[in-house]
Amino acid sequence: MRFADAVEFALDSLRKRRLRTFLTASGVMIGIGALVSMISFGKGMQKNVSEAFKASGLFNTIMVMPAGAGIPLGDPDRPLRPPEKTARADAVLDEAAVAEISRLPGVRMAYPEVNFPALVSLEGEEEFRLVQVIPAAVLASGTAQVRWGRSYASDNEEGVIVSRTLLRRLGTSEPGAGVGKTLRITSVSVDFGQLAGLDLSTLFSGQKLPVAREGYDFPIVGVTDVNAFGGGPGALQSDVLIPPGTARRIKRLPFTSIWDLLRMRGGRLGYSAVSVKLESLADLERVASRVREMGFTTLALADQFEEITRAFYVMDMILAAVGMIAIVVAALGIVNTMVMSILERFREIGVMKAVGAGDKDVKRVFFFESGAIGLVGGAAGCALGWATSLVINRIVNLLLARQGMPHFDYFAFPLWIFLGAVAFSLLVSLVSGIYPARRAARVDPVVALRHD
Amino acid sequence: MNKPPLVRTQSLAKAYLLGDVRVAALEDVTLAVGEGRFVAVTGASGSGKSTLLNLLGGLDTPTGGTIEVGGVLISAMDREALARFRRFGAGMIFQSFNLLPSRTALENVELPLVFSNVDKKERRRRAAEFLAKVGLAHRANHRPSELSGGEQQRVAVARALANGPRLLLADEPTGNLDTRTSREIVGLLAELNRDRHLTVIMVSHEESLVREFAQDVVRLRDGRVIATESLA
Repeated sequence: MRFADAVEFALDSLRKRRLRTFLTASGVMIGIGALVSMISFGKGMQKNVSEAFKASGLFNTIMVMPAGAGIPLGDPDRPLRPPEKTARADAVLDEAAVAEISRLPGVRMAYPEVNFPALVSLEGEEEFRLVQVIPAAVLASGTAQVRWGRSYASDNEEGVIVSRTLLRRLGTSEPGAGVGKTLRITSVSVDFGQLAGLDLSTLFSGQKLPVAREGYDFPIVGVTDVNAFGGGPGALQSDVLIPPGTARRIKRLPFTSIWDLLRMRGGRLGYSAVSVKLESLADLERVASRVREMGFTTLALADQFEEITRAFYVMDMILAAVGMIAIVVAALGIVNTMVMSILERFREIGVMKAVGAGDKDVKRVFFFESGAIGLVGGAAGCALGWATSLVINRIVNLLLARQGMPHFDYFAFPLWIFLGAVAFSLLVSLVSGIYPARRAARVDPVVALRHD
Repeated sequence: MNKPPLVRTQSLAKAYLLGDVRVAALEDVTLAVGEGRFVAVTGASGSGKSTLLNLLGGLDTPTGGTIEVGGVLISAMDREALARFRRFGAGMIFQSFNLLPSRTALENVELPLVFSNVDKKERRRRAAEFLAKVGLAHRANHRPSELSGGEQQRVAVARALANGPRLLLADEPTGNLDTRTSREIVGLLAELNRDRHLTVIMVSHEESLVREFAQDVVRLRDGRVIATESLA
């Protein structure tokens, strides 16, 4: 039997049982549709995260931290690399160390990660926030995208950049309108005048603490958009950015937590972290090892991104496993339909055999029938998965837009998803067809043709 | 008449298991049918006529003895070889016609050609030719449900001949037909036998038709040959 004839026989038989063919193919369509949207969701999230990573320039960044115990924050499995054994044990991550790192070949810039807690207020509304100190040059390198207004032009400019989210919290829902308003940053420092007479043991019985509060006013020069996927250490997730020269004027405590004090070496504090931007990713290993030789711990975000990618593989697997449940149900539907079809076409199979059809011919016709169901169901499933994803994406974006989130495509559809889905559907349907096809081929013509 | 017979069976036997009981449908059947003969097989129902025909047509396999058709031992063939034998070696027609209801007369005649890999154009041509031969050229595009019983059996005859076998096996071909149509159909078989030198083995219990058209009669009872006679 020729290939074309077998296809024609198979299609003819499917046409004869239109409703059942439609229902069975619908099962496949739903299964493949679920799989396609699940996988495209996984791929979409991965794409968003990696694009945010790339846009933030964090790939080319090494985080440098003091040696010693890590602060128990964030991911405990971060690929931290401790200092080299040969390094000095009392290295402090101070201004001199930052300058030395800056001079290493391959380093574009190095700047300390400095932030301090403050009370920020705008037109009577208040919020607690970490204020992050960021040099103008770092901002200019694309670390944060200022959507409204502009970046500050120098490290001494009197101006701050705030996030769209913070503006909303402070009562200004139109980000553009926030530019030019005055933000008050209130910080706390030690009141040395009171310090002398302080009796620590009476601290909790009502005595006034020797601290001073002071507010500073800055014009808002720019507003950043929300970055839902800009995760990772060093990403500018702070809601208030301020240039270092200007920040120096703000009286504040030189540490944000007791951990900073516990980490001191020889009474010297140093920075808790320094970001090192590289000229290119190729310099990463060389610069990182030089920094470790200086006695500091390094964390390469490129290494961490690999871990994130691995985590996405796991997520893809889980999503695919959920989609597979629907596929298994669809496959059982195909087996059921095909076995029913054998019972109905018992006599027809007998006739085919009586006029000379071999086992292979009969097998082929049934095999092609289930294959056709898989092919059509798979193609329709791609369309369904795609359409469903568009609808979900639209709804989610509408809902999140109300909370001030920008538009995101939560699903990604590389071509291989569609091709893979159709091929997979075909494979599943062919596997589902093996048993029915064998059974059809084994039909005994004498029994099938026995007088009715 | 020294030509070897087209069909020869030796101690042919077929037994079934009905539960634990062994039932002999055919026992020790030794026959020889010369090429170009028209042989009728008669007997009461359950005498093993259809079983014999199914064995000769390669639809069934014997539990004992041998079958030779055209010098080839078909009782020793595997499933694939048997399918090939059914395709080219013997055409069969049945009491209930066994046409595919969803296909036209022409497509039904084409069916054996589909399984012998004949291309579509040639298939159409040959099928039309055979339909014309059985007098149904004008009914080519009708489905079986639109044809009379006699017409359906003619389509079945055309189908059985499509691949050009030397042997035609007819299992009660007139069982579902009225007397006049029955005569026409058996007449058609006799004509093919005469004109195309086709060997015909027909199971029938209509003695008058057998007497009118057959050259030899094989009588079966309880799975055994009880008599063979030559009528012409």
